[in-house]
Amino acid sequence: MPRLEHLSEIVRKQMLMWPCLEYDDTPWTPMAKPLSKSKLGLVTTAGLHVRGDKPFIPNQPGGDTSYRVIARNTNVQDIVQSHASIGFDHTGIYRDINVTFPIERLNELESQGKIGSLSENYYSYMGALRDVTGIIENTGPDVAQRLKNDGVEVVLLTPT
Amino acid sequence: MIARVFEEQGLTTTGLVLIEEHAERVKPPRMLAVPFYFGNTLGEADNPELQHKVLQATFDLLTSDQGPILERYPEGKIPDVMIQGSEANKLPQVNETYSPDMSPADELTALRGYYEQWVNSRNGRTAVGLTGIPQRRFRGIVRFLESYINEENADMKERPADIDIPQFVRYCVDDLKAFYYEARMAQRPNGSDVDIHTWFWSNTAMGNLVMLLAEYMRNSPDQSVNTVAYGIAR
Repeated sequence: MPRLEHLSEIVRKQMLMWPCLEYDDTPWTPMAKPLSKSKLGLVTTAGLHVRGDKPFIPNQPGGDTSYRVIARNTNVQDIVQSHASIGFDHTGIYRDINVTFPIERLNELESQGKIGSLSENYYSYMGALRDVTGIIENTGPDVAQRLKNDGVEVVLLTPT
Repeated sequence: MIARVFEEQGLTTTGLVLIEEHAERVKPPRMLAVPFYFGNTLGEADNPELQHKVLQATFDLLTSDQGPILERYPEGKIPDVMIQGSEANKLPQVNETYSPDMSPADELTALRGYYEQWVNSRNGRTAVGLTGIPQRRFRGIVRFLESYINEENADMKERPADIDIPQFVRYCVDDLKAFYYEARMAQRPNGSDVDIHTWFWSNTAMGNLVMLLAEYMRNSPDQSVNTVAYGIAR
């Protein structure tokens, strides 16, 4: 565990004791075709949203399991973050949103033909949730359906 | 967890994970465990080359025909671990300009030029904006927070009706922090991230006000206020 060794004792314990759901199996949808011919969507748990959209709620018990839509052609200037946690370093995203939400990097990969195409909309959730029931039952399937309606086949997931 | 839900709905997923141990428990189909500190998922800000390498490694997982796959990105440059407010005073000071007599509002006004310089240099990109209050009226936010600590039934007319006061306090603090951090990045272009954290928490009147605010909220009998305190400073 080299990564946890970089953390303070308190944070390390907090991360090890985080109430993750535990599974023995893994759902699996195989790739239908190469990435260079697939449509890709981007979904983050960085608590991002478009400026002026409703921020995530920082003190909701268990965490805020709602999501926000970020149109792919949104200017990076118009994306802000209302993440509940201060357990991560905000300076990276202050400097460059791509360090968490690689919106410009994906545009470059599409231009280079490495990704077939990109979805019209990207999606954002809050991270550091202690209760993910709302995502499993409601907002997860909801976003999945929206992505499929947009013709998306592959999804890239980024935390912060 | 989202990867599992999407995959069950027929979408193919790949992604990045910062805590490898969590992925071992949740077992998402394809994940790249990265060694970077929280907030720097793709490696480093303003480093498109590294970001592309990390993305390529994430997309390479898509070629496997069975899983779960949990691979490690090779160790690279690991950003410094950030510090919290209560840790700042234990570190060497990076700047001695802060005077305890300086009011947070005056300090904020003094930094405005640097903040605007930062925003201009980034073509208008700024992390400030959760409250919706223009930065030129941030002295009003400072007055609100000072009144809140003094139990003066403080409120702001800009607070949306569906956002309660503690939540709005959090958005105010996030806006002020973003303002200060961005101003400092313009003022000290070569400063490390740790330098900026240390400066904010040790050398600014605003850092001091935020620490007092968090302490006040931690002592509230209302648990939802305590929760907000944890997200303001610790």
